[in-house]
Amino acid sequence: MASSTPQAWRFPDLTTAIVVVILAVMPFLVPTTLASQVAIFATATLSVTLLLGSVGLLSFGQGLYLGFGAYLTGLLLRDAGLGLLPTLVLATTAGTVLAGLLGILMVRRQGVYFVMLTLAFAQMGYFAMLSLKDITGGENGLTDLPRTMSLAGLPIGSPLSFYLLTAGAFLLAFLAVQRLNASPFGSVLTAIRENEGRSEAMGYDVKRYKIAAVAIAGGIAGLAGGLHAAFLGFVPPNDIELEISQRILVMAIIGGVGSPAGALVGSVFYTLVSEALSELWARWMALIALLLIAIVLYLPGGLWSIGRRLAERFGGRSADA
Amino acid sequence: MSMQLLLFQVLNGLGIGMIYFLLSVGLTLIFGLMRFVNFAHGAFYLVAAYIAFALTRWTGSIWLSLVIAPLAVAALAMVVERVLLRHTYRMPHEAQILITFAIALLMQEIVILIFGPLGQNVPVPSALSGIVFLGPYVYPAYRLFVVGVAVLVAIALWLVVEKTKLGSVLRAGSESAEMVGLLGINVDRVFMATFALGGALAGLAGVLFAPIRGVEPFMSVEALGIAFVVIVVGGLGTLSGALVGGLLIGLVQSIMSTLWPEGAQLMIYAAMALVILARPAGLLGRF
Amino acid sequence: MTIERRTILKSLAAAPAALAMPAYLRQASAQGGTLDIAAVYSLSGTFANVGTLLNSGSKWAIEKYDTVLGKKLNYVLIDDRGDAGEAVRRVQEVMTQRGIRHILGCTNSAIALAVQKEVYARGGIYVQMAGADESTGKDCNKSNFRWPVASYSAVNATVRPLIEKFPDAKKWYTITGQYVFGDSLLTNVKDVLKEKGLQHVGNSYHSLSDREYSGYIATALAAQPDVLAICNFGNQTLDVVRQAISYGMKRNTKILAVWSTGLDQFQALGPENCDGIYFGCNFWHGVDSPGGRVVAEVVKAKTGDVPNYLHACGYAVAQVLLEGIKKAGTDDVPAVIKALEGMTYEGPTGTETVRPEDHQVIKDYYLMLGKAKSAMKDKNDFADVVAATKAFLPPEKTGCKMS
Repeated sequence: MASSTPQAWRFPDLTTAIVVVILAVMPFLVPTTLASQVAIFATATLSVTLLLGSVGLLSFGQGLYLGFGAYLTGLLLRDAGLGLLPTLVLATTAGTVLAGLLGILMVRRQGVYFVMLTLAFAQMGYFAMLSLKDITGGENGLTDLPRTMSLAGLPIGSPLSFYLLTAGAFLLAFLAVQRLNASPFGSVLTAIRENEGRSEAMGYDVKRYKIAAVAIAGGIAGLAGGLHAAFLGFVPPNDIELEISQRILVMAIIGGVGSPAGALVGSVFYTLVSEALSELWARWMALIALLLIAIVLYLPGGLWSIGRRLAERFGGRSADA
Repeated sequence: MSMQLLLFQVLNGLGIGMIYFLLSVGLTLIFGLMRFVNFAHGAFYLVAAYIAFALTRWTGSIWLSLVIAPLAVAALAMVVERVLLRHTYRMPHEAQILITFAIALLMQEIVILIFGPLGQNVPVPSALSGIVFLGPYVYPAYRLFVVGVAVLVAIALWLVVEKTKLGSVLRAGSESAEMVGLLGINVDRVFMATFALGGALAGLAGVLFAPIRGVEPFMSVEALGIAFVVIVVGGLGTLSGALVGGLLIGLVQSIMSTLWPEGAQLMIYAAMALVILARPAGLLGRF
Repeated sequence: MTIERRTILKSLAAAPAALAMPAYLRQASAQGGTLDIAAVYSLSGTFANVGTLLNSGSKWAIEKYDTVLGKKLNYVLIDDRGDAGEAVRRVQEVMTQRGIRHILGCTNSAIALAVQKEVYARGGIYVQMAGADESTGKDCNKSNFRWPVASYSAVNATVRPLIEKFPDAKKWYTITGQYVFGDSLLTNVKDVLKEKGLQHVGNSYHSLSDREYSGYIATALAAQPDVLAICNFGNQTLDVVRQAISYGMKRNTKILAVWSTGLDQFQALGPENCDGIYFGCNFWHGVDSPGGRVVAEVVKAKTGDVPNYLHACGYAVAQVLLEGIKKAGTDDVPAVIKALEGMTYEGPTGTETVRPEDHQVIKDYYLMLGKAKSAMKDKNDFADVVAATKAFLPPEKTGCKMS
């Protein structure tokens, strides 16, 4: 886990550099659409990483904001004829607002009860999607999104242009989270994670900080959903199902929530491994489950922390952030 | 809706409720004593249902599995507790949720590996395959049997909680987890026993449910969802909470299916959220 | 079990290579004499039950044909893991980065509807088995072909024969999945009842994740219908049938599951829950036809058992595509599409025709009646065919504007 003293956050730092390098080399190593998928899910995972890693809030329901962002993007692109950039901004905003509103309710409870609330709201979102089938397309999903779009005058349509868009969006979100962690706001979040009672006693309005964190995480998930919809030209109903919430949670844990870079590592690992394994053995989820057990028991910092430990051992300088 | 139908929906809802109680009580027991959130509860239920399926295919009836499956799952729960979960007691709730979630995933995949992905039938025992007439209403004999078992389980658990040493520990645990340690008992053994009991109850529910639902590898998802809603609504960690929560959710589901079926699922989760927000200790709990 | 073990061993052996690059991108087919056929199925996730068997059917069909026009066929499985988004992305990937143009299969409607647009936009051809009417209705396109019947056909091929058989059954009750597919079935049932002057005494909607139906069944019982028509799909159909029977509904009411998958669902229900129940289905192994015998042989060689609907359906979509290529004499997509339009062939259900206007395969849909265990001649003899009907909405009414 990251150290709690603000001085330990250096920004931008080695972690930033590593993330940029991973994003830069990825399209050369894996198929471009797969790389885009990694970037989109890394963004989604970042919202879990932020909540769990920085504030200690476990959400089983980030898929709600992802799905909300995706459906909104689908409708705006298809029916409102809005451009890609304003649409993505709106999807991010919508995720922030929805999460903020629900956050006001959710932060009133802690621990297990908070987790249950994230679950309950996510399930409600799913059933709402089904019952609004005239708008959402129900179990068939939302189809017919435009195939060519432009962003600030640049055409977005080819696999590479989508990768640049999604990787750019992830990098932005990543830098924002890193910046946030390094800020005084971030140190309060860390303090809340480590001892909520003490932070309250110190005079911080813990609930407001939590609401802010939930809202920001919701915005990031909304952005990921918007990117997913634009990328696929389609909103799959899976985007608002419980399974997607679980999937990004698993990615976050595997990558490690101690650093926002863990989100990228988790998404890279899960996406590539599931892609490779599913070709070979349809029961590959069993291996993911075993890995998850091992990480919870023996490697609470996730895969990212392996790199950090190595860096500490050999480089002396910590890549912590 | 006619009065007669409403009355039947109430009776039927109570029946569903008792079945849901059975499904949930193991989960609440473990939470009550150990403050442990067991996301693998549904998986224990799944494994027992498949044991029932295999044994029924082999012996021709479900009776043998009614004993063997809960015992087998209790043993499984003990192993899981000893090998994996024990290490997470010092960790935050989040770690426990995650590890039991992973265990559930693993068990589900193993079930598919052994039994294949398709659903299978577990026949209702022939002695209970008919219907019984309750005044003007018909009710499946087998469901009546399951409700009967659930009532017996409720009574037995009540006796355990109120009259035995384990019960006093359980009660102390649901008041405050720290108190258990102060009672001067072997916490390790109590935890393992509780986990075994929770597993056995999930297993019993799995066996009894199998003829009603059939078995399929993803049945645990529904079971876990219901169990969580039930115990949250009734109050986490208390026996009476699981009972009241179960009956309430059963009633809501049965009556809603006539009044506003589209909203039934939405309502159930809304009710869960509302209870957590307004009365986090559940409708029955003290706060 | 042995199959699984072999797969694992093979997997272990192949693992290092695969980790370096996904298997479907390995250029095994670089030499000119092969033709890649990609198939989109869910082998994990909640749809794995259906996807696994559909995949087998398609794969065995490709193995059976082996070559077409002298080109060796290469089966490229795309496992979407139950995620429609993943299906779209990977179809994009094989089409853009590997140049595959011939695509098969889907595990659910969302996947098919999205993939058919993707394939169309990228100039490929796609044969699939979606349940959604939209597939050959308002979302139809040149690239897309569908083998199973639409909801109109399923309803008209089951409800009408049942009405003829029981002219006195005037009161109908429906239990419907509140989703697009359930609603399509329900609308069609209502239309038939209206036309025939029968009474629709009520409908209960249930949601996509309901498993407990006793409340709906109680409401249905109270309406005292002569027929209960179940308008949903998958495990939900099984649960409604099972629970309706347990509440004694069979005594005074005929029960019809409009959309079932036949044998695999009969096995999941067991003979005691099939006896006396009417089911609609797209394929039945007991129907003898030249095409059906081919499927039966192929499946027998693989499993030692008879084919179920999922096997047959997986087989059929591959067959349609390959017969089209054969007839066209080239694998060039526009030529194959042209060859397929109006093509007649010996399919799993008998002589089947591809309708040119909406690319719907015109084939029989069966009304089946489950029988008692004592009357079963073998372990798969769950039901008899009561009626086999080709009932299709005229193309101009499907909403399909072919582009």
